[in-house]
Amino acid sequence: MISRRHILQIGGGFLAGLAWPRHMHAAEAVEIRMQGNQDGSHVWFDPVGLRIEPGQTIRWINLDSGNSHTVTAYHPNNFDRPLRIPEGAQPWNSDYLLPDESFSVTLTVEGVYDFYCIPHEHAGMVGRVIVGRPGPASASPLPEQAAGGEAIPEIALRAFPSVDEIMRQGVVRRV
Amino acid sequence: MRIAVATLALVAAFSLPASAADQVEKAPPSGAYKKVSELVKLPDFLPGLGQLYVDPKTLPAGPFLAYDRDGRLVSTVYMLPVEDLSNKDKRFDDLAAPGGKVDHVDVYFNAGHPGVEKPHAHVVLWHVPKAEETRVAAK
Repeated sequence: MISRRHILQIGGGFLAGLAWPRHMHAAEAVEIRMQGNQDGSHVWFDPVGLRIEPGQTIRWINLDSGNSHTVTAYHPNNFDRPLRIPEGAQPWNSDYLLPDESFSVTLTVEGVYDFYCIPHEHAGMVGRVIVGRPGPASASPLPEQAAGGEAIPEIALRAFPSVDEIMRQGVVRRV
Repeated sequence: MRIAVATLALVAAFSLPASAADQVEKAPPSGAYKKVSELVKLPDFLPGLGQLYVDPKTLPAGPFLAYDRDGRLVSTVYMLPVEDLSNKDKRFDDLAAPGGKVDHVDVYFNAGHPGVEKPHAHVVLWHVPKAEETRVAAK
């Protein structure tokens, strides 16, 4: 039986989903969930693509009871990975988050930010956030390998939602 | 001299790799096994597997010994990277199997986790009947 309380929660979430991100305020934090299925055969960020306003905070939370995850920006400072965040933006690496642990960053520089989960990049667990309106540089192909670093695996490259898709939808989910 | 021999025996006992002679029925197992959650940042109890112990020298394949919430052995797990399984020059030979009688075996894909960071296969040798797999289920 669904209680009224539940209906209100579901309805509120649904309405928020419809309204978002048009009425989003910079002070609001948005959440990206790190998830996995029971046997660990599938892991993902949800949503995988997101558009936010400059100055907005993103909070990643590990809701996978059987695994640890990281959220790590593609940046040469992080294990010599290719630069896939805007020039001048600060890279981040959450380190391993156990179930129910979270990590937040506030993004101020406009542009495209790509990130990955260290133990699951080879399973395609990557995500993309767009802050504000990306400049013309976003139309150019992003680097797939930095000097001396490991190339981004094909399965991860295929998992990024396109800039157009994120700009059009605001939120991109694959589950 | 007797003391020196005894000391050497003690040192040897604490530095030997995991072997079939180890006590593995109850957690913690003897020998070189270490609790996985103390080696890497993973939950102490993994739903579907249990509490894992491994000899770090045997990574990534294992064996990993899996225990229920009462510390009773339920399975022995091997973790075999997919890229190694598809490499004709790579073999996994003579993996230790200290857990005794096997009731049934599960093999399935895992996307990765700290300790074995690439996609791999879990080969699970269950030492308990199918109905008792619930001993390591999520609460």
